[in-house]
Amino acid sequence: MCLAVPLQITSMLPNGFARGEHSHVQVEFSVALLENPQVGDFVLVHAGVAIETLDEQSARETLSMLKEVVDGSQPR
Amino acid sequence: MSELIKGNKISIDPITRLEGHGKIEIFLDEAGDVDKAYLQLPDLRGFEKFAEGRPAEEMPQITSRICGVCPGAHHMAATKALDAMFHVEPTITARLIREVYYNLHYFEDHILHFYFLGGPDFIVGPTAPKGERNILGVIDKVGVAIGKQVIDIRHRARKLIDEIAGRAIHPVLGLPGGVSKQMTVETRDSLRIFVKDAVAFAQFTLKVFDDIVWKNPTYRDLLLGDVYRCESYYMGMVDKDGHPDYYDGDIRVVDQKGKEFLTFAPKDYAKVIAEHVEPWTYVKFPYLRDIGWKGFVDGPGSGMYRVAPAARFNVSSSMSTPLAQEQRLIYEKAFGGKIVHSVLANHWARLIEVLNNAERLEQLIEHEAFLAPEIRNMNLGTPTEGVGIVEAPRGTLIHHYTSDANGIITGANMIVASLANVAAMSMNIQSAAKAFIHKGKVDEGLLNMVEMAFRTYDPCLSCATHNLPGKMPLQVNLTQVGQPHRSLLRASDGSITESETQKEA
Repeated sequence: MCLAVPLQITSMLPNGFARGEHSHVQVEFSVALLENPQVGDFVLVHAGVAIETLDEQSARETLSMLKEVVDGSQPR
Repeated sequence: MSELIKGNKISIDPITRLEGHGKIEIFLDEAGDVDKAYLQLPDLRGFEKFAEGRPAEEMPQITSRICGVCPGAHHMAATKALDAMFHVEPTITARLIREVYYNLHYFEDHILHFYFLGGPDFIVGPTAPKGERNILGVIDKVGVAIGKQVIDIRHRARKLIDEIAGRAIHPVLGLPGGVSKQMTVETRDSLRIFVKDAVAFAQFTLKVFDDIVWKNPTYRDLLLGDVYRCESYYMGMVDKDGHPDYYDGDIRVVDQKGKEFLTFAPKDYAKVIAEHVEPWTYVKFPYLRDIGWKGFVDGPGSGMYRVAPAARFNVSSSMSTPLAQEQRLIYEKAFGGKIVHSVLANHWARLIEVLNNAERLEQLIEHEAFLAPEIRNMNLGTPTEGVGIVEAPRGTLIHHYTSDANGIITGANMIVASLANVAAMSMNIQSAAKAFIHKGKVDEGLLNMVEMAFRTYDPCLSCATHNLPGKMPLQVNLTQVGQPHRSLLRASDGSITESETQKEA
């Protein structure tokens, strides 16, 4: 299944693109669909396109939830 | 890799697996041509455990938060599972509101796929430089004004979803027996204006497809040819009249000739579908129990089935709305009949569904009960067990929960649409590899053609989800008898490196 991992924008790139990061993994994506994207925003990315901006609390709640799911995936 | 050392324990951060490489193993014969190819995908298996012990009412919110690409589909499947679990039928008004929400979700999701994800393959072209294979390249081809229209119509759809369901990405609409919010006159009026533009936009997009894709002989050959083709069983939800239904109905399975194999009610899914486990992946491969798992092969003897837009057309007789049906007849004529095995046909079928969604919205919002205050049936029974199935934009999505008498989840199972297509994706990749790799020569063009084999399904798989077309991390391992192992690695920045080990196969 796909997972909605929020990424935080770390830098804006030319031509409507941005770079985002979570846990040292960097991803480049289009921000063409977002209104006024800013460095520091948390976004959800689908197929290389940021489809939604999340507020920080919501992003952190989702990340926390994902961590629980992933921890449940650990081999025992 | 992000690794954290605490004491003597090394933790590998989950994100590195979520962003994991799709891995393709290709085995060559002595001449350097392709013998076999396999697709290996990262997946997780912790969801079921995560769900246990939580109140059942939280499931529509939890699943829509975790599954990012189609939160609306998970929200709706989970809500329907709660209806079943609490033994309650939603009111007519609640059903109308749910369907309006769901058709809006489909509309914006499918538009996103065509212009942003599939568009780079067809509008810009699979062999275009990777710097152009993105939305900017698409806008360059279709024009800036059209690019703005795409962004605007999708934005309006999202805004309406927000009004109806809270936030589009974290909907709070579905409750067992109903919905949380009554429809307002203002939102209904906004919907009336939207659907007129949505119908026109869907028709325009079908014309773009016809002009740029279907009228291009190269693309037409790809759509009709044997490289991207697979003759499997097909599964999808149909209404009582045999139309594709995204929200509710029975599930129909047809064979390779289009003949009905069986039809089942959602609650009986486990009698029909089994899941095969391979030792090399967490991905579970769903298959038809009555036929059995026969490996990565198609044909009537293999229980492999496919889902997604073209599969929905294969299992249904006609569309529920007139303009979409007109377009479907053109589609069927182009492919030479009602049953279509072309893998790339999904792109076309998806756009016909967009038109169907827009027309369907028009029907739903004019229903006399749409604005009524009866949005929830509170005759809830003692919770036990529930199955909720919807057609997600990517295919049949199954949620199944069991609970104790207090509504606390004791078991959960989800069969996600894309997983039904993974075996086919692997086969399609093998077919593409055989067509494009000769004498051991592999280049960037091959990787693009390989991506096309599974991008047509719009898979909700973690490796495909977060990366731009042409930049999905991909590792291709080549094994040839008597030759050193070779590995082609494409990083998420799109750069490609090739390595060779001394060890011979």
